[in-house]
Amino acid sequence: MAADKKNLEAKWSEYLKQQKQANVKYMLLSAAGILTVLIIWQGVVMLGLVDSHLLPPPTEVLATLLDKFTNTVPDGNVLGTNILASLQVALSGFCVAIIIGVPLGLLMGWWTYADRFIRPIFELVRPVPPIAWIPLVVVWMGVGLKAKALIIFFTAFVPCVINSYTGIKLTSQVLIDVSRTFGAPNWLIFWKIGIPSSLPMVFAGIRVALGNSWSTLVAAEMLAASAGLGYMIQIGRTVARPDIVIVGMVVIGAIGAILSAILSRCERYFLRWKVNR
Amino acid sequence: MDRMSSKQKMIRTVLYWGLPVLAVVLIIVGWIVFSAGHPDLMPAPWDVWERFIRTFTRPIAKTTLIGHAWASLRRVLIALLISWAFGIAFGILIGWSRWARAFFGSIFEVIRPIPPIAWIPIVIMWFGLGEFPKVLLVFIGTFVPLVINTSAGIEMVDKINIHVGRIFGGSNKQILKEIVIPTALPSIFAGIRTSVSSGWTTVLAAEMMGAQQGLGSLVTRGWQGSDLSLVLVSVITIAIIGAILAVILQKLEKVVCPWNNK
Repeated sequence: MAADKKNLEAKWSEYLKQQKQANVKYMLLSAAGILTVLIIWQGVVMLGLVDSHLLPPPTEVLATLLDKFTNTVPDGNVLGTNILASLQVALSGFCVAIIIGVPLGLLMGWWTYADRFIRPIFELVRPVPPIAWIPLVVVWMGVGLKAKALIIFFTAFVPCVINSYTGIKLTSQVLIDVSRTFGAPNWLIFWKIGIPSSLPMVFAGIRVALGNSWSTLVAAEMLAASAGLGYMIQIGRTVARPDIVIVGMVVIGAIGAILSAILSRCERYFLRWKVNR
Repeated sequence: MDRMSSKQKMIRTVLYWGLPVLAVVLIIVGWIVFSAGHPDLMPAPWDVWERFIRTFTRPIAKTTLIGHAWASLRRVLIALLISWAFGIAFGILIGWSRWARAFFGSIFEVIRPIPPIAWIPIVIMWFGLGEFPKVLLVFIGTFVPLVINTSAGIEMVDKINIHVGRIFGGSNKQILKEIVIPTALPSIFAGIRTSVSSGWTTVLAAEMMGAQQGLGSLVTRGWQGSDLSLVLVSVITIAIIGAILAVILQKLEKVVCPWNNK
């Protein structure tokens, strides 16, 4: 028996080692994938297959990125100012959408009359793509922070409401019945059972809302702004500086990824009671 | 359940049907009041209706509203067909093969967080304002959700089903075709649904940045010409077409994957 156990343990550690090796191999492959793209990119530009006025090589993009931290040409702001301007607009619209949208969706999902009253209004707003709001909002409110935040609000609001609504509708009837049997009033069941059990769906909605906010922000800034990352790439296009445009795209992508990672952290914290299977 | 008196019942019925009507009436009244007070900020509903009729009698950019709607729809449809073919295939590839996921997945992960709208300036620089760059932009916007959903669906297939298939002597190709893809189909379809709404948004953004025809170009035209009625006509058309597309897909989903009854 002892020999068997020893044998098994040896096999197990061998298996773990194999897994580790495989992981290293796949990590190297991932790096190789990105490197290959960069090398091909650099190669086609250096060989003159693509005009470098249209597609600057990665080395030049990197140089522009570093330079842009201190250089205000061509859009009049350094990169840091643009990032802050964009974040301010996106996050203010996004936060207001969560604060209004999530409770609204929960209410609609729990109380039929709230649903009956709000739903027609909501269904009228919902199919309008957020970008289509831009001209109307700009005419109403100009191009300031409030106007752009309102556009972001429209895009983040819809997924917040839909997911909160669906989440609380999916609350297990058994749990509700049990609390009712024990004499809990409706609002208490809403608070103690409905809201916690809807949270995973709510977070899924917030995740969609975040993605929407960030991408609509770029559109809003491209059409109407005087600072921000979307403004920067738009100016980069009009003055024919593709390196600026690509730097802007990379920064937009990176910040989007960082924001979504932060959200994942929050989600894990709020849903830590959930059994992970 | 406690028994309700007939009076209580009646109040409930009135509330149940009255509230939605009240909401719609409130919106319309609010619109009329606001437009009467600020005609420069918001045209009245009848002005919008008049403008709607006028798009047919006096064409904009040589075509009617329907022509513009078709121009937008055509771009989306062409891009969708291409990205359905490539996106689903690519999603299956990186979902199925660990090797491909490591190599191509990392490239995809770098490109993925860039919103499709952020591609607009560079694509215009490269390819101008013609038809191809717009289709390309919609392709970028629809490709990403398709790949994400497809590969996630493939990865979520229960390992035990694959093992069973292997034990019964199924080849890789058979397992993929008979077990993995049918299981992932609902997820793939979710990707298709997302891709349609994302494509519809992207085409508008692309057209608003510069186009001769299309609903997005109508929005910009109305905006720059201070013709807010035209903006509203196009926005409402956009919303209606978007809603119709969503309904068609819902119906289609019931046909394609009827076992996915949520």
